[in-house]
Amino acid sequence: MKVIFKIWRQENAASKGNFESYEVDGLTKDMSFLEALDHLNELLVSINKRVIAYEYDCREGICGQCGVFINGRAHGPHDHMTTCQLHMRSFEDGDTIVVEPWRASAFPIIKDLVVDRSALDNIIEKGGYISAKTGTAPEANAILVGKELADKAMDAAACIGCGACVATCKNSSASLFTAAKINHLNSLPQGKQEASKRVLEMTRQMELEGFGSCTFTGACEVECPEGISILNIAEMNARRTKAKWLG
Amino acid sequence: MFFRKSIIALTGLFLCIFLIVHLSANSILVLPEETARSLYNSYSTTLRESPLIKIVAYVLYLSIILHVVYALLITINNRKAKAKGYRVNQYKENSSWTSQNMGLLGISILLFIVVHLANFWARIKLGMGEGVGLDANGHVDVYEVTYSLFQNGYYVVFYTLLMVPLGLHLHHGLKSAFMTLGFYHKRGLRTIAKVSLVYAIIMAVGFGVIPSIVFLK
Ligand code: HEM
Ligand code: SF4
Ligand code: FES
Repeated sequence: MKVIFKIWRQENAASKGNFESYEVDGLTKDMSFLEALDHLNELLVSINKRVIAYEYDCREGICGQCGVFINGRAHGPHDHMTTCQLHMRSFEDGDTIVVEPWRASAFPIIKDLVVDRSALDNIIEKGGYISAKTGTAPEANAILVGKELADKAMDAAACIGCGACVATCKNSSASLFTAAKINHLNSLPQGKQEASKRVLEMTRQMELEGFGSCTFTGACEVECPEGISILNIAEMNARRTKAKWLG
Repeated sequence: MFFRKSIIALTGLFLCIFLIVHLSANSILVLPEETARSLYNSYSTTLRESPLIKIVAYVLYLSIILHVVYALLITINNRKAKAKGYRVNQYKENSSWTSQNMGLLGISILLFIVVHLANFWARIKLGMGEGVGLDANGHVDVYEVTYSLFQNGYYVVFYTLLMVPLGLHLHHGLKSAFMTLGFYHKRGLRTIAKVSLVYAIIMAVGFGVIPSIVFLK
């Protein structure tokens, strides 16, 4: 299998950057997309060229490191999938594959396809946790949580922080990410104590980081590998209004 | 931004209610000539003389101004948040064109509102341009203003075409407003999405056909 990769190359945050084309032969349909990029990098090493920087860790869809924009879609052509779960069989022999880094003013480019997603960490620092004494794990049945609530919290907790929602959003809004974190904790008894503070501070930090505001295009929930529902954003808005006016 | 977005949603919903009232009243215009003239003129005189309607009118002006100003500010801020876009972007695979272009649609509506106010409000309320006569009942002949405007084919086309962006804007705006204001009930939102579609079609088609009917009278 042969494809033409058209990849964004940028030396560092300050440099301008541009697309470079690479014709890559000897790929197979069973290779993952990242393996195809590895293959291209080996070719670059063999001719003494600087390799392409891109991120990954688990390569099984759980760490959230691997996001890039592929042929106009976050994480490639499929809905609800990470880049590392994408395989070359999703492309045709001879295809041109355009690969771009996540674009958002809050995600400055570090190098090539690698962007700095610290802005998401800064949101988490404002309340994406519960304040509790650590120690041995508490008895599991000490705090009872209904099945429906547990499922709902778990669905929101599935967010892997990949940033695809920000990347695909025309406003670079981090609302889906932030809503997932807030709803996960605020719907559980353990998160209730700091619920109001959490929603107010995390949403405020989201704005301070330079993310845009949500206009409900719905692109995020389609590209989100975990299928986090956009209803979470509406729910976050409700929680925020409640916290603001009723404390 | 949350405050601004909520104001956009609240004023947007108020404008949506206004449109229902406005369309209901305007449907008088399609009645036979003499009935339409006397009914429409007495309706508009009643409105103009009611102190309550005066207040509602100011709320309406304020709503339009707040909606437009905050929408523009939010849109500018959102553009800043995405300083650089993608070379290739297949956004149509994950969202509707309408939802991606609310600002553009809004500006088209604004253009419409300016022309519309110049045609009617400026002439009737501000007394600009040609004077407006009285009908047989002694009411200000607003019907005649409408009738004479829509004898001009260009205005008919303009008023009809500009209802397309209005319909699109309402289709996304109505359901978006509910979510902005924190309504997150899944089945309820599915109903609201359907209602938004029906509402948008009724408004766009309703307002859109009236000029042609008046033209053909
Ligand atoms: C009859 C007139 C109008 C009605 C009924 C209307 C209605 C609405 C509604 C219900 C929303 C949804 C608010 C939300 O998402 O929370 C909205 C959003 C918006 N409107 Fe309007 N609107 C009107 C005129 C305008 C005008 C004249 C502009 C001009 C600039 C405009 C620009 C916008 C923008 C930029 C948004 C935000 C869009 C987004 O969510 O992406 N609208 N409108
Ligand atoms: S909400 Fe979905 S798309 Fe956004 S960061 Fe979390 S997992 Fe990624
Ligand atoms: S590398 Fe971990 S999610 Fe893709």
